[in-house]
Amino acid sequence: MKISLNWLKDYIDLTGISDEEVISNLTMSGLEVEDYEDQAKLYDKFIIAYVKEKDKHPNADKLSLCKLTDGKVDYQVVCGAPNVAAGQRVVFAKEGAIVPNGGFQIKKAKLRGIESFGMICSESELNLSDDHSGIIVLDDSYEIGKSFAEAFGLNDVVLEIGITPNRPDALSHIGVARDLAAIFNRELKIPKVELKESAQDVNTEAAIEIIDAVDCPRYTAKVVKGVKIKESPEWMKRRLKAIGLRPINNVVDITNYVMYEAGQPLHAFDLDKVGGKKIIVRKAGADNKFVTLDSKERVIEAESLMICDGNKPVAVAGVMGGENSEISAQTENILIESAYFNPSSIRKTSKRLGLSTDASYRYERGCDPNNTLYVAERAAQLMAELGEGTILKGSIDVYPEKINEKTVRLRESRTFRILGYKIEREKIKNIILNLGMKIIAEEEDVFKILIPTYRPDIEREIDVIEEIARIHGYENIPAVERIANSLDAKIDESEFIEKARNTATSLGFYEILNNSLISEKAAELMGKSIQVLNYQSADMSNLRTSLLQGMLQTISKNIKVGEKNLRLFETGNVFIKKADIIKSFDDFSESTKLILAITGSDAEKEWHSKERAIDFYDLKGLVDSFLGNLFQNSALRDSYNEESDSIYSYYYTKESGKETVGSGGKIKKELLKQFDINQDVYCFEFDVDKLKSLLNIKSKFKELLRFPKIERDFAFIFDKNISNSEIKDYILSCKSKLLKNVRLFDLFESETFGSAKRSLAYSLEFYDENKTLTDEEVDKEFTELTLSVKKKFNAELRGI
Amino acid sequence: MLENIDSIGLDFDTELQGVKDLKQLEEIRIKYLSRNGIVAGLFEQLKNASKEEKPRLGKELNALRNSVQEKFDNLKSSIEENSSEESSKIDLTLPGRNRIIGSKHILVQTLEEMKSIFKGLGFSVFEGPELESDYNNFTALNFPLDHPARDMQDTFFITEDFLLRTHTSPVQVRVMQKVKPPIRAIMPGKVYRNEAVSSRSLCVFHQIEGLYVDKDVTFAELKGTLISFARQFYGKDLSYRFRPSFFPFTEPSAEMDITCYLCKGKGCRICKHTGWLEILGCGMVDPNVLENAGVDPEEFTGYAFGMGIERTALLKNGITDIRLFVENDYRFLKQF
Repeated sequence: MKISLNWLKDYIDLTGISDEEVISNLTMSGLEVEDYEDQAKLYDKFIIAYVKEKDKHPNADKLSLCKLTDGKVDYQVVCGAPNVAAGQRVVFAKEGAIVPNGGFQIKKAKLRGIESFGMICSESELNLSDDHSGIIVLDDSYEIGKSFAEAFGLNDVVLEIGITPNRPDALSHIGVARDLAAIFNRELKIPKVELKESAQDVNTEAAIEIIDAVDCPRYTAKVVKGVKIKESPEWMKRRLKAIGLRPINNVVDITNYVMYEAGQPLHAFDLDKVGGKKIIVRKAGADNKFVTLDSKERVIEAESLMICDGNKPVAVAGVMGGENSEISAQTENILIESAYFNPSSIRKTSKRLGLSTDASYRYERGCDPNNTLYVAERAAQLMAELGEGTILKGSIDVYPEKINEKTVRLRESRTFRILGYKIEREKIKNIILNLGMKIIAEEEDVFKILIPTYRPDIEREIDVIEEIARIHGYENIPAVERIANSLDAKIDESEFIEKARNTATSLGFYEILNNSLISEKAAELMGKSIQVLNYQSADMSNLRTSLLQGMLQTISKNIKVGEKNLRLFETGNVFIKKADIIKSFDDFSESTKLILAITGSDAEKEWHSKERAIDFYDLKGLVDSFLGNLFQNSALRDSYNEESDSIYSYYYTKESGKETVGSGGKIKKELLKQFDINQDVYCFEFDVDKLKSLLNIKSKFKELLRFPKIERDFAFIFDKNISNSEIKDYILSCKSKLLKNVRLFDLFESETFGSAKRSLAYSLEFYDENKTLTDEEVDKEFTELTLSVKKKFNAELRGI
Repeated sequence: MLENIDSIGLDFDTELQGVKDLKQLEEIRIKYLSRNGIVAGLFEQLKNASKEEKPRLGKELNALRNSVQEKFDNLKSSIEENSSEESSKIDLTLPGRNRIIGSKHILVQTLEEMKSIFKGLGFSVFEGPELESDYNNFTALNFPLDHPARDMQDTFFITEDFLLRTHTSPVQVRVMQKVKPPIRAIMPGKVYRNEAVSSRSLCVFHQIEGLYVDKDVTFAELKGTLISFARQFYGKDLSYRFRPSFFPFTEPSAEMDITCYLCKGKGCRICKHTGWLEILGCGMVDPNVLENAGVDPEEFTGYAFGMGIERTALLKNGITDIRLFVENDYRFLKQF
């Protein structure tokens, strides 16, 4: 919200306090000044100048060559405006001036061969209006050489304040002044209203009826007759423009002015357009179409509160007036509405209409129900002063049940306990009183405080403590360091995933982080997905069901920028729908996954080794290394599947008992095509929660072997359809007491074996924990094993 | 000839001194040590020696042979060593055989750094779900129904009652329900806001939440803890300030600013010419929140704080576009 410092000074004397102090004190007490504009600085180097001569530009038809003076110095200026003429007083931007509209700096320039030392300005360039048809021509009352800002009264400083939703009281100049009054301990000056009212009673001209008193607890009206609709005076227009409002006419401007003065929204009806001269406040009901004063027809829901006349709705309560009762140039008689509406009712209507206005913004945050009469009178007074209107006697004020000020008990001891710092009792009292609260009783530790109704946010003791703290200044509360040593065990639920991340990076994987929102089509690839009700776009409509889709997208993007050899991992949550309608946490699952992905070459081309395309065994090896680092003895089983499914050409899973802790393999070409990838990709996705549960299987220390191992190798020619694991498992199952390990160390295919055969060579490791083995003992077992393998697989021994 | 054993040894020594390379050495080997060489010839003559002289001569001859062989071997290995270094000169400038070590995402690195600081200050680490109930995300945190405070966080809804959490604060509620005070915990995680994606904002991002509930936890202590964190994380020379703010779940609420690291407080575009950068929101846990979670606000007080990871990582690394964090460009990932 914009606040003009000049305007603010109507309500508080800021003598002796610099603008900078005002700004920093507001920020440091809760009204954050997000930005500010110093008009004098904005219009620095803009002056009033006199056009002494005007000639045609020798090289351009549409340009003129002017000689300007500021009374002391002459300037040669090239001007493109059609209305420039000798003898005019104009606004002149000197070299170095920064043009407010566009922010460019005026520099000495050559225009069609002639030097120009500045610019004559239009209203548009000065951000005064949209008019850029020609330069501003001033009358003789403007003193030549004077600064433009001074001549136009543009000496204001305008603050942009971020008002938090709990502070409706600060949505006005008086509200901001009240905070300053408390901060600087100065008096708040609220304008006095003294009305000259006519003899005619207001009740003879209008009537008010509230049907829905829950949503409209109070409706106050005043009537002003014989108003002349015209432009507002300069001072009011200047203030409204300073805070970013467009002046319209005196009546509309007054309602805006008073709203920004006191925080209470007002509406002015053309009384002659109010049917039956009666206002009825009720729910819209069947009146479901309404044209607001922005000329838009809106669909109104039955529950919305409407302001109606004897026949029809005339305004959407608290949001926007209707076109049918709008102030026009012909308007003479005005009904001023100053009401208090139920905040949540206005909020619902505003949300349903998708229409937020200055009025609804204030009403939904909560206005002061006990200030409506003052504000209506203040507006009436201004309409009489600036529109020559006559104020009818009295006001119509329907307020069935008065909203009373709340009482809050504040303990000094509690204040100390929350802040950890003792603020003097007198200081506390001062802050309370300066903010407009009343102390109605005072005991040793307890204040009984009456809270003004313009502070709906203050309801409890803690709310008052906050007020005391912020006005006293957070900076004045010392920082205390207290290292609390608690004896309870510390927990770190992220410990495992942190270790998994460390392991993945040590294996050369880079971590990625993808959006959890993906397209419905992608999400459905890997399970039943959950859709966001109000999604932004179709490519972010559903929650991911797996990390795979995001991974493939990332790989695709990287290949496009020339990064083809990738080792990537991600960990994050995925979401699966378990019931058609989500009513509880049981209707969906949210689980943490970790995905490893590799593609391209194992290494770049190097002088010492050839580039090698990554294959399934790279994936398998990396998965095993990854698990091996996380768990010493995970005892996970591999389960292979050579058949393709919708994702993989072939894949395998890691199993622990009956649980699958992860699966992965080679991604199918058809799927890769959907992601525009044309190189092989291998992925493995782990279920982190299941992995974590493996941590419970503790590995025990194994005594170091004190006796030498003996190795024996053999190579056989096997049928190709006999798998490595079949052979290995068989060898290990052969009940050789001394055999402890079998390792494949060579695979060889040759035409001489025939295409259905291959040679596999194994290294067998023998040892005994308790003694040194002799060659004879090993050879005996090795020979038996050799014979068994030969017999079992009908294999041909190639060598020992 | 056997009488000349000594002089043969001397001859050998002399000849050996003249040897420069392996070729000359080989000539000497053939002359002295080959099957038909001088030493072998002497052994041949030994057969003809008298029985009395044989043992003495044999001993001398053996000594000669050993000595010659040893001298020969020494010289050979010495020549070989020198020549190998010269002839196959190694090119030390060839690139080494690299092993690739990956890296964690910069956001994760930032988060882990924060985590380790808070762990050092005695905080535990808890996690909570991203798909939350409206109750935990808003109502339990003292956001009234139909209140503009709910507009502070644009929400992605799944149903009327379920949503994607807009902040990590609902984990506070979960932790307070699970653990009895004293509670001293941080809660990092992913959060969602229905905001347009731009160079400055994402609709999915990360936060870290902190909570301390105990008897007599005060605002002064909140300041102390956060200043300690900021000094460890941003550097000990920074200036800071606490400004009043508003969050429904804390009261009094504050925002903490630090000196703009870019302009050192002079004012620039990044800090909107204020010289300050907001780094986190914090405050004393609102009594309603404690009560909703089953903690007696008269017995216990607490503080809470929360900050965005993305913004922090942008600031610390001088990254200009927040979208780089989710683009996952390998060239970006490899820089951290």
